[in-house]
Amino acid sequence: MSDSSHDKGQQLAVDIKGVGKRFKRNVDRRNSIKERIVRGRSRKPEDFWAVRGVSLQIPKGSVYGLIGHNGSGKSTLLKMIGGIYRPTEGSITTDGRVASLIELGAGFHPEMTGRENISLNGSILGLPKKEIAAVTGEIIEFSGLEEFINDPVKHYSSGMYVRLGFSVAVHMKPDVLLIDEVLAVGDEEFQRKCFDHLYALRRSGRTIIVVSHGLGQLEGLCDEIAWLEHGQMQEFGAPTTTIASYLRKVNSQEAARYPEVTAVRAAGEEARPGDQTLRVRTAAIVDAAGSPLNHTETGSTFQFRIGFTTSEPVLGPNVRIALQHESGPLVTMIGNHRLGFDMGTVSGDNTFDVALVDNPLLPGRYRVHIDIFDFTGSRLLDSWNDALEFAVRSQSGEIGQGFVQLPAQFRLG
Amino acid sequence: MLTDLYRQRALIGAFANRDFATRYRSSILGWAWSLIQPLAILVVFAAVFSLVFRIQAPDLGNGAGSSYAAFLFTGLVTWNLFAGLLNLSMTQLKSNGELLKKVQFPAWAPILGASIVQLIQVLLELAVLVVMFLWLGNVGWTWVLAIPILVGTALFAQGIGLVLSIINARFGDVQYIVAVVLSALYFLTPVLYPITMVDGQNELLSLVVKLNPMSWYVESMHEVMYSLVAPPALVIIALLVGGFLTFWAGLAVFNRGSEDIGELL
Repeated sequence: MSDSSHDKGQQLAVDIKGVGKRFKRNVDRRNSIKERIVRGRSRKPEDFWAVRGVSLQIPKGSVYGLIGHNGSGKSTLLKMIGGIYRPTEGSITTDGRVASLIELGAGFHPEMTGRENISLNGSILGLPKKEIAAVTGEIIEFSGLEEFINDPVKHYSSGMYVRLGFSVAVHMKPDVLLIDEVLAVGDEEFQRKCFDHLYALRRSGRTIIVVSHGLGQLEGLCDEIAWLEHGQMQEFGAPTTTIASYLRKVNSQEAARYPEVTAVRAAGEEARPGDQTLRVRTAAIVDAAGSPLNHTETGSTFQFRIGFTTSEPVLGPNVRIALQHESGPLVTMIGNHRLGFDMGTVSGDNTFDVALVDNPLLPGRYRVHIDIFDFTGSRLLDSWNDALEFAVRSQSGEIGQGFVQLPAQFRLG
Repeated sequence: MLTDLYRQRALIGAFANRDFATRYRSSILGWAWSLIQPLAILVVFAAVFSLVFRIQAPDLGNGAGSSYAAFLFTGLVTWNLFAGLLNLSMTQLKSNGELLKKVQFPAWAPILGASIVQLIQVLLELAVLVVMFLWLGNVGWTWVLAIPILVGTALFAQGIGLVLSIINARFGDVQYIVAVVLSALYFLTPVLYPITMVDGQNELLSLVVKLNPMSWYVESMHEVMYSLVAPPALVIIALLVGGFLTFWAGLAVFNRGSEDIGELL
């Protein structure tokens, strides 16, 4: 939270001092003169501060991330750094040429060829003609569009369009590059190329400021991250810690906003497979202390709590909990017999708790199917499909690939 | 302020290039349209106003009778320069809105770029006018004076166009109002008729026509191109300086008004 981490003598690319931006919240303000005449000027438009009191020092050669909810003011801040909006109060000093990559290919004209658009876009972004000519070949090669470069861009696919846009923007050699939500362009290969290029830009001492919701991407790319909330600076510092506090806030807000979707299900009296000598009544996910959760996080311990009643004492039931990922695949099946755990004889109203220690499930939604067999595993007592659905969220912003995170350990040598 | 224009000439040029390259790209006849259109209007107007309304053009400068078509076209070229620049400039901020909202660059650049392309169109029309007068044998040294007059007209139109573009970005009604005003102004400018025709008519009408600055530009063009008469030097200077001052003031207003253009659009 403090800026003591910055060496005071360090050169700044962008120095933001107590910046605020006020918008007039008068929707039909500009639409017609008639409105003006009819309503007059007397109706005071409501003021709305999109950004207020934000101070930030962005050192040269760093990659800085801005995160926050939609409407938190991060794009407004970016536009102020880019000079598109003037701050209502405070000041922003930038050192060197700023280029915004706010929307890829914003300046493309559909009737012109890719090559003509490169030159136009270069001029708009402020590069002298000679330099544009010098980098045109590089841009074409980077975009991988050699074959189509002399076709009008209206014939391009959307993927080709953004590839060209990205290539142009990153080759403009700005001192400060502003990127707003455009990191996810093209296919896997092109994305990797983009990131390599961004790293190369950083190595050459250029500053990059990124606004994104791709927390995982940001964590890997940024030196520092600032989190804005309702236009105000919430926290800034190391990516991992800032993202973690942001996610904590998001998760707790979501829990508060949707208390009713707490992942607890009570089974009705519908007919289900099995002889029903043991019938599952409720299914829920709860935390270690037993309070209901509506979602859980990768790496944090939680429990499945299954309430049931029996019509006669059941000897050593075999409980199987199947976890299915929202995209279809069965992730795993958890069973007490497989784990060598005998429940003994159960009767009456009771619950099973199944703890998932250091939850290895990666973020996503999971469906839970519960099957209960007798101790031999041959007689079905109850089978409840889609007993429960719950979300796993990320703690770090890292989404990961696949469904689970295995408890792996790395060692050198 | 004016040195900014020079410094950004590459950017203005890039926009001019874009508009030049794309103006008629998807049409088969391409740039031929820029001549077919005014010539078609010329033929229709010449027929209607000289045959039906029997408007008599003044005598040509070479004393070889009169030509209503040549008279009309002289006025049309001047008027088209004015109205074309005005209309085009007025809509440029809106049509480049997506860009202006996302990238920071001087907002007048696309306007001036579009105007350059419009000027090329006017030069084509002017070439046709010259050919027409050569064919009529109506040639004189006073043609040289057309240059400062047309430059004055262009600067005058651009100055107004810059101001209108800012107002139009704020209030979308402006372009419709301007369309109405322009078509009225067209008839209040001696394009279709010699200015002598309003003498002795309704006094107010006559006054409006004579106070209309476009009348001065058009009338001066009639004098130097058609009648081969040199207006007083002071008039030429006034037209040029007036145009320049309008442009300068228009640019100053534009710079003030476009500071928050990224939010306005």
